[in-house]
Amino acid sequence: MSLLLQYTLIFSSVLLLVALGGCFSEHSGIINIGLEGIMVIGALGGALVMKYLPDGTCGAAVLGLVVIGSVLFGMLYSLLLGVAAIRFKADQTLVGTAMNLLGTAAATVIVKAMNTAENASNVSSEISYIAARKKFLLVDGMEFNWFMILAVVILAVSYIVLYKTRFGLRLRSCGEHPQASDSVGINVYKMRYAGVLISGALGGLGGVVYITAGVSLWKFENGVAGFGFLALAVMIFGAWKPGRIALAAILFGFFRALSNVYTGLFGSLADGAAEITWLRNTFNFLGNVPGTIYNMLPYIISLIVLAFTSKSSAAPKAEGIPYDKGMR
Amino acid sequence: MKEKKSFFKLPVVQALLVSLFCILLGLIIGFIVLLIIKPAGAWEAITTILKNFWNYTRTNLQLKNLGNTLVKTAPLLMCSLSVLFAYKAGLFNIGAAGQYVVGAGACLYCALAWHLPWYVCLLAALAAGALLGVISGALKAYCNVNEVISCIMLNWISLYLINMLLTNVKETTSPYTFKLSTAGEQSFLPNLGMGDALFGKNQYTGLALIIAILAAVLIWFILGKTKLGYELKATGYNRSAARYCGMKEKKNLIMTMAISGALAGTGAALLYLTGFTEWMTTQSSVPAMGFNGIAAAFLGGLNPIGAIFSSFFIQHITDGGSFMTKIGFPSQISDLISSLIIYLCGFVMFIKLTFNGFLDRHSKSTGTNVNAEPAPVQEPAPDAQTAVADNKEGGNEE
Amino acid sequence: MLSGKDVILLEENYAIEMLNITKRFPGIVANDNITIQLRKGEIHALLGENGAGKSTLMSVLFGLYQPEEGIIKKDGKVVSIKDPNDANALGIGMVHQHFKLVECFSVLDNIILGVEPSKYGFLQKKEAREKVLKLSEQYGLHVDPDALIQDITVGMQQRTEILKMLYRENEILIFDEPTAVLTPQEIDELMQIMRNLAAEGKSILFISHKLNEIMAVADRCSVLRKGKYIGTVNIADTTKQELSRMMVGRNVEFVVHKEPAKPGKTILEVDKMVVASKVHKNNAVKGVSFNVRAGEIVCIAGIDGNGQTELVYGITGLEPVVSGKIRLNGKDITHASIRKRSVDGMSHIPEDRHKHGLVLDYTLEDNMVLQRYFEKDFCAGSILMRKKNIRSYAEKLIEQYDVRSGQGAVTSARSMSGGNQQKAIVAREIDRDPDLLVAVQPTRGLDVGAIEYIHKQIVATRDEGKGVLLVSLELDEVMALSDRILVMYEGEIVGEFDPKKVDIETLGLYMAGAKREG
Repeated sequence: MSLLLQYTLIFSSVLLLVALGGCFSEHSGIINIGLEGIMVIGALGGALVMKYLPDGTCGAAVLGLVVIGSVLFGMLYSLLLGVAAIRFKADQTLVGTAMNLLGTAAATVIVKAMNTAENASNVSSEISYIAARKKFLLVDGMEFNWFMILAVVILAVSYIVLYKTRFGLRLRSCGEHPQASDSVGINVYKMRYAGVLISGALGGLGGVVYITAGVSLWKFENGVAGFGFLALAVMIFGAWKPGRIALAAILFGFFRALSNVYTGLFGSLADGAAEITWLRNTFNFLGNVPGTIYNMLPYIISLIVLAFTSKSSAAPKAEGIPYDKGMR
Repeated sequence: MKEKKSFFKLPVVQALLVSLFCILLGLIIGFIVLLIIKPAGAWEAITTILKNFWNYTRTNLQLKNLGNTLVKTAPLLMCSLSVLFAYKAGLFNIGAAGQYVVGAGACLYCALAWHLPWYVCLLAALAAGALLGVISGALKAYCNVNEVISCIMLNWISLYLINMLLTNVKETTSPYTFKLSTAGEQSFLPNLGMGDALFGKNQYTGLALIIAILAAVLIWFILGKTKLGYELKATGYNRSAARYCGMKEKKNLIMTMAISGALAGTGAALLYLTGFTEWMTTQSSVPAMGFNGIAAAFLGGLNPIGAIFSSFFIQHITDGGSFMTKIGFPSQISDLISSLIIYLCGFVMFIKLTFNGFLDRHSKSTGTNVNAEPAPVQEPAPDAQTAVADNKEGGNEE
Repeated sequence: MLSGKDVILLEENYAIEMLNITKRFPGIVANDNITIQLRKGEIHALLGENGAGKSTLMSVLFGLYQPEEGIIKKDGKVVSIKDPNDANALGIGMVHQHFKLVECFSVLDNIILGVEPSKYGFLQKKEAREKVLKLSEQYGLHVDPDALIQDITVGMQQRTEILKMLYRENEILIFDEPTAVLTPQEIDELMQIMRNLAAEGKSILFISHKLNEIMAVADRCSVLRKGKYIGTVNIADTTKQELSRMMVGRNVEFVVHKEPAKPGKTILEVDKMVVASKVHKNNAVKGVSFNVRAGEIVCIAGIDGNGQTELVYGITGLEPVVSGKIRLNGKDITHASIRKRSVDGMSHIPEDRHKHGLVLDYTLEDNMVLQRYFEKDFCAGSILMRKKNIRSYAEKLIEQYDVRSGQGAVTSARSMSGGNQQKAIVAREIDRDPDLLVAVQPTRGLDVGAIEYIHKQIVATRDEGKGVLLVSLELDEVMALSDRILVMYEGEIVGEFDPKKVDIETLGLYMAGAKREG
């Protein structure tokens, strides 16, 4: 049971962070289908920091630098969406899809190239970070980590930023009625870049939280197994509102955890070997039927919710429509 | 009033040039990445990718590997037709990936569990894909659910569902489904002796390729020449107008997604019924085939005939990537290039505008049509306006 | 209407001057050497047809466009306005024709958007709310600051826009076609508000093409035509006729020449029709009965939003009717499909040409056969489109109805001007030789030439013995075209009139619900 709780919390934190990221982007008017790709690149950023930090670095520094690494990578990567969608008015679905494919491909190429450069016989796409990861844990031997606290803090900050600050009011106006924002002198392009960059930051952070969840190495060929899309579902189920997104994240995180637990995985997570077993089991639910069902559930629920609510959708009204200053 | 259009202003020529530009840019960026990884072998690597089957010296092996590329081109072409057809009718079928998955599941299950003949398996795949398309279409027609979102959800639902279904027809010791040659010989797509005759005894090459190319021609015909095409496109461009002029706009929308889904579903059958590969029931990601279909569709200038060539090209460089590991580069470099090409396809409009601007500056001689009335400057963007208006309309319904 | 301030002493005291403004777009000169001088505390009307360059000029003033030539002066000093922020800083505010309000925000949030009072980035709404309440008190603009925009009436939304300007302490207020969306009562209130504002020293630019309103509220009026400046006149010294001549460039006959109607057999019968509303829970059309005979033009007059749209949707089949009967040529079509009604002889010029009338991404020729693409002439064996026939048919219509476009039949409908788009629709609908033509606001947003042309076509259709049901919000159009007038108010027909025996004032009373028959 404690295992279920641990994993629910881990997955919920990931989903919460990424969905909040998506929420910022959509409130600015840009649909971010590319969250999956952003997560992979953010995870890569964090993993590289963990890999290259000397073993003796103190916990807080590791945590801080990993967060900075993943956030920076995520933001840089999200600029691909920002530039294409805002400056060049590209189709946001097309660009997002490309980013998802590109994220995994690029991360794999980079990691493989680095591994091969270190050791010519190493052609894997893995990065391991056993020592660094332990420093994230709140309690030794239990999968409660600092990221969960961070996620809660970011939830609160997101709510305040969106609804209590000048920035939030302006951001949301750009997603609802950019012509109105422009007419009162708000720079719609800037606000949309801000929204996309925040989604990159939170998506990237979510990525690193995901790959450090109970495992000490990551094979980048695997991407993030649809967590970016699951986060989209969380955002939709959460009706683009931080509070409801948090509830949705917990629910969907619980389903994911259930699916993992149902794969028959129990036992100590303390040592690396068990963690690897866990990893393998997680992604090889050989013939395990209930686990798969729990994986499907979040998507089915979202679809049903969409079917019943889309006629009066809470989605920002101008999302997905490129803003052109010339056309008003 | 007719004036001679400059060669470079012909739509076909422009589409081709833009696609070539995207490819070139994608390759250059890929090359730069290769240079960073290992400057010494970069040139060899990029040429290896582009050579693909020509990397073999013996003609026989070249042909056989060309055959392999063609085997995978067929499903890719079907997926790109799926995306293209929907896009031409105003819908973004990001769900080609999921429709491909259910197609694979349906045909493999029919072949391996029930041992049905190939044409039944093929039809099962077609029906499964179409059904998934219908779900997205109906959700959009009746519940106003954006097809991109519903397709994303359905992609994942399909993946988990098919993984679950095909677990019943897999080897106990491996995650792969039974081989067609051992468990479902009756379901092999006929290869019509094509592989033997043309592709160095490649038993996988055959009917699939022919079906895919025929499908491309059929789609070109439907979209450009038929009443069905006229109605579906009208519905896609402007649902309200389609309704106004008496079309069954909900039916049309669902029909578009059904055809689109059927194409992607059939695509899967064209691969898995050749026995070229098996389904891995532990896949944790939706297969890239459907997404690459998006790339091929856009790279082919959203033209069914163009899609034949763009699908081949994308498969060609993807297969070329498999030679990379041998010369010390990651094979994903070709995924990187093809995803870059999709990304660049997002800029097609911009590239065309820039290109035309360039042309206009360099050929002042082409006078403007005197009878042409300028489009109204002050009218607000009609599409943005209608999009918002549609949204509002949806919002007002109880 | 001349205000006391309008004396020679203040001649030089201009709040804003736009001098010799020229703005070009590719292929068109939108503003050609235009000069407008706005005095302090006056209401200055800017009159012109659609496409005369009013909006462009205001966009220049608002910093949305940069003019190629000319200067702008504020209080006699040359200023440069590069974006709306500059305009704002100079105290220029604008109520746009399409409101720039965020629907899911509150009134207060919309007012402060862009100039939010904040401390360390956090919103400080308390003082803002007090200021808004004070302003609405001062100018008689009663709006609940906490209501959401989507929940309040159009009139209140407009007041929110006005409060937006007042909150910013703007001195120069621009009203862009502010009355188009209002009921007559709301128009009267708005006029009063504008007078109050002018009395408080605000300078007002009032953009309109409605002569009555300009005559009622403005002190002076500047006229633009086809991008050129025609002149400025004192309202006190001019007449409606003179203004309209300045606007159009020739004498405009408000009358359409037509013979008296010779009504024949009944074409359309509507019997106690009820249509539900999409906006609210009540029915939009509440048991309406009338008929249209061959050879007459029946006009539905009324203020926008009184059920006319839904009435047409019910008749044409775009919306199902809740109850009642509709008969076309004696045949019950109450539950017939749209296609069936169309094939049986009903043509429909829709209210919104972009939403319903055209597939903008189709070529002109494909749009020309939108209602008959399935006919044998255009579609072989109901599978194959006959492109050659479509082309020659489209070219025939283009020729016959003088539809102008860049590349003829293969022009994308999107790239055509509004007038020609509408002409194409009119051509398509009339050429089908319908028994009944339903025309909804067929001349909205068009220039006088196109309006006259379309009016002639409608009258010609009548003279061929067709029935015409015309829905219009413009009373001038109603008076000019109709053989019979039905006034609609809140989903009911409240009066039937002979246009020769009724005046606009009486119609107005019925339209406003102040009077009704039986």
